[in-house]
Amino acid sequence: MESSDTFLIRPHHQHKFKPAVVKECIREIVREKLSGVQYDPEEVPQLSKTLADSVKEKVKNAGFDRYKLVVQVVIGEQRGQGVKMSSRCLWDADSDNYAEDVYLNDSLFCLVAVFGSYHY
Amino acid sequence: MEEFHNGNEGSFNSDEADNIVKECIEGVVGADDYSQNLVNKWTAGIVERCLTQLVKQGKSYKYIVTCAVMQKTGAGLHTANSCFWDTAMDGSCTVRWENRTMYCVVSVFAVAIA
Repeated sequence: MESSDTFLIRPHHQHKFKPAVVKECIREIVREKLSGVQYDPEEVPQLSKTLADSVKEKVKNAGFDRYKLVVQVVIGEQRGQGVKMSSRCLWDADSDNYAEDVYLNDSLFCLVAVFGSYHY
Repeated sequence: MEEFHNGNEGSFNSDEADNIVKECIEGVVGADDYSQNLVNKWTAGIVERCLTQLVKQGKSYKYIVTCAVMQKTGAGLHTANSCFWDTAMDGSCTVRWENRTMYCVVSVFAVAIA
């Protein structure tokens, strides 16, 4: 984090965390890495880690300086079970935001959530 | 300015957060069986309870709490996180809990404020 402009308590409008842009980033990466992939209990742990890292790199490069990022990836096998995921955040609603995307294919489902928190 | 910094030991205490989260899950879901109708209420309840308990600690952190509840059918589930933050001040903790009919995975991310 660079130490210039430390008096900024809100991001400039152009530099705000834009959920739509981040959602696009997530979509591209997930579709690229998971289309046609079958659920395999040996490979999925590594796959979920690399997916989380790639999404984080991509969002970082999209230019949200001064934002701390948390990326969470959940991959599960599709066997007709019910799953529900929810989240709550205690943060500054003016500057912080999140984006999420869900991907489904025949054998697995994948959920990616990116939370961005402004560093004052 | 001195009083402001006294409450912080300097980094996130994940053991304490672990205990708080476990108590919240037991409190909300405890001995119930998986039910499609109630799952919405459960996830919301768990997440809100965890958040209020964490905030009661009074530390200067922003919190992100996520909760996934899944029915036990023999299917596999994997979660992974990747975070871009200040490793000295920020931290996370993940709690896996299960009962006879479901799994519950709760993740807490704490991001320091300045």
